[in-house]
Amino acid sequence: MVLLKVINLKKWFSMKKGIFGTTYYLRAVDNVSFELRSGEAVSLVGESGSGKTTLGRTILRLIEPTDGKIIFDGKDITHTRVEELKWYRRSASLIQQDPFGSLPPFYTIYKILEEPLIIHKIKDKNKRRELIYRALREVRLTPVEDFAPKYPHMISGGQMQRVAIARALILRPKLIIADEPVSMLDASVRIEILTLLRELQKTRGISFIYITHDLSTTKYFSEKIFIMYAGQLVEMANTDQLIKNPLHPYTQALLSAIPDPDPENRKKIRKVPPGEPPSLINPPRGCRFHPRCPNAMPICRREEPKMKEVEPEHFVKCWLYA
Amino acid sequence: MKKLLDVKNLYLYFATRKGIVKAVDNVSLSLNKGETLALVGESGCGKSSLAKAIIRLLPRNTHTYKGEVYLNGENIMEYGEKKFRKEVRWKKISMVFQGALNSLNPILKVGFQIAEPLIIHENMSKEGAYKRVKEAVKLVGLHEAFIDRYPFELSGGMRQRVVIAMALVTRPNIVILDEPTSALDVITQANIMNLLKRLKAEFNLSYIYITHDIAVSSELADKVAVMYAGKIVEIASSEIFYRNPSHPYAKKLMASVPTLRSEKKLDFIPGAPPSLINPPRGCRFHPRCPNAMPICRREEPKMKEVEPEHFVKCWLY
Repeated sequence: MVLLKVINLKKWFSMKKGIFGTTYYLRAVDNVSFELRSGEAVSLVGESGSGKTTLGRTILRLIEPTDGKIIFDGKDITHTRVEELKWYRRSASLIQQDPFGSLPPFYTIYKILEEPLIIHKIKDKNKRRELIYRALREVRLTPVEDFAPKYPHMISGGQMQRVAIARALILRPKLIIADEPVSMLDASVRIEILTLLRELQKTRGISFIYITHDLSTTKYFSEKIFIMYAGQLVEMANTDQLIKNPLHPYTQALLSAIPDPDPENRKKIRKVPPGEPPSLINPPRGCRFHPRCPNAMPICRREEPKMKEVEPEHFVKCWLYA
Repeated sequence: MKKLLDVKNLYLYFATRKGIVKAVDNVSLSLNKGETLALVGESGCGKSSLAKAIIRLLPRNTHTYKGEVYLNGENIMEYGEKKFRKEVRWKKISMVFQGALNSLNPILKVGFQIAEPLIIHENMSKEGAYKRVKEAVKLVGLHEAFIDRYPFELSGGMRQRVVIAMALVTRPNIVILDEPTSALDVITQANIMNLLKRLKAEFNLSYIYITHDIAVSSELADKVAVMYAGKIVEIASSEIFYRNPSHPYAKKLMASVPTLRSEKKLDFIPGAPPSLINPPRGCRFHPRCPNAMPICRREEPKMKEVEPEHFVKCWLY
């Protein structure tokens, strides 16, 4: 069953230069379409500035979309008034990158977790405590009585991120968007947190969008990978397929840039495209990757390719496969 | 082969209100000419402090700073601050700092910032210095014209190249790289790694490469030192370390690295690194170690050469 359907979604930020200057648009998300099934985990991978965070926040209606459609559970929520979105806030939640910034420092963990329950009108105090303790047990912050009265600064970064996960889960959402949930944590703790997230997501049947720049972890924690470049999705496929048989030249470049630990690496020079992603104010015409693409053809400069299903469940936006 | 850098029993403690932080606690290591040593470990294990101890950039709350550091056979710990600044720091050993993206002065042109160490450490004239700056800028793959730009006009990757140029301009023998790519995107990171490899081959440079990213460390490392809670627990050639590390901590660390091309089961290290103010008795890893024995709790193991050039500090060996 399709839980989330995004159709031609756009988010353009308007920017003014000077007092009388013309308005420019920063096209952070430009014509993005995809579907997410219930219980499915998808990794959204892209470099910084590719628009992946904006896409996540727009889907959650934390940012107003400029154009396009967001359909969640069969309901069009693209332009629903914020006051009528309460049910959606309960069904779709966010885990942010920085646990140090996303947890209020003057609230105890108990209060942090109680807040969403109060907002969503769970009036019985005992019921709230039951739910809070259940959430803490789920993320293995036990004994719960020890952790509940603590303040964020009293626990480690990994534990803080567990609290953020507990908060995202406490209302039993259908969709969780995790925006770089582990990039601020140490390598060994990352795996611990991602394993926990994946386990909760699987056992509770939650749909999951894992936003990251780290392609190497996606293999272990999602069924599908979407690759984003300069505000657009350029390739979508099942995880194994994408890693074994990447089709888009950008995906190929990303994969070849990531080393596995191997003593042979130091003897090789990696083949990676030069340069950096383009400005989103004035992106290149045609395919946005063409200035860096080793396979660029004349048509790539003129016309934007369409997303095409090249093999079952494997979509790519590139003229090489048109 | 003669050792270029030989660090023996180095200590660096900081005094804080909570107590004495033993950031570098009896560390020994060595580096040959043209060799890269990767220093890996979790954050807070003392990697950056060790680098600062070697290049002697000490904060004001330094409590203990002792040991021996031989550079080309000469104990530079005996040098006074003036002599050290003139003959060692930046001249022989330079450093690319962590968060290099923010380590440039926003209101000075990058050319001047690269020239500064030449003017200060080598008493060069402005003209002479700028000539060398142009060479250095070209060396790191930037156009000469960039020296007249301000840092905000450059992208992250370009700024990183500027910072590398700054570390190379005095033609040092050793460059300490402290997480030189951690703020960069993967493709930019690969480009910078390619650059560092080329520079190393061209000038026979030695790097001390500090990172928590094991996969990326294999891009440069000839040998690897694993640091845990202020101490080095294993030193091995990269052939040994990346395929078959010995110390239980190094094993766990390797098991937590996700790989794209091979199938493996990921593992993590339970718990968190200990406080450096009051580290555990005996082996500092014993509370998290899957192989802990009674002796590990009581007594600290010694560094042992288990095979030539492969040192492990663990009771198992």
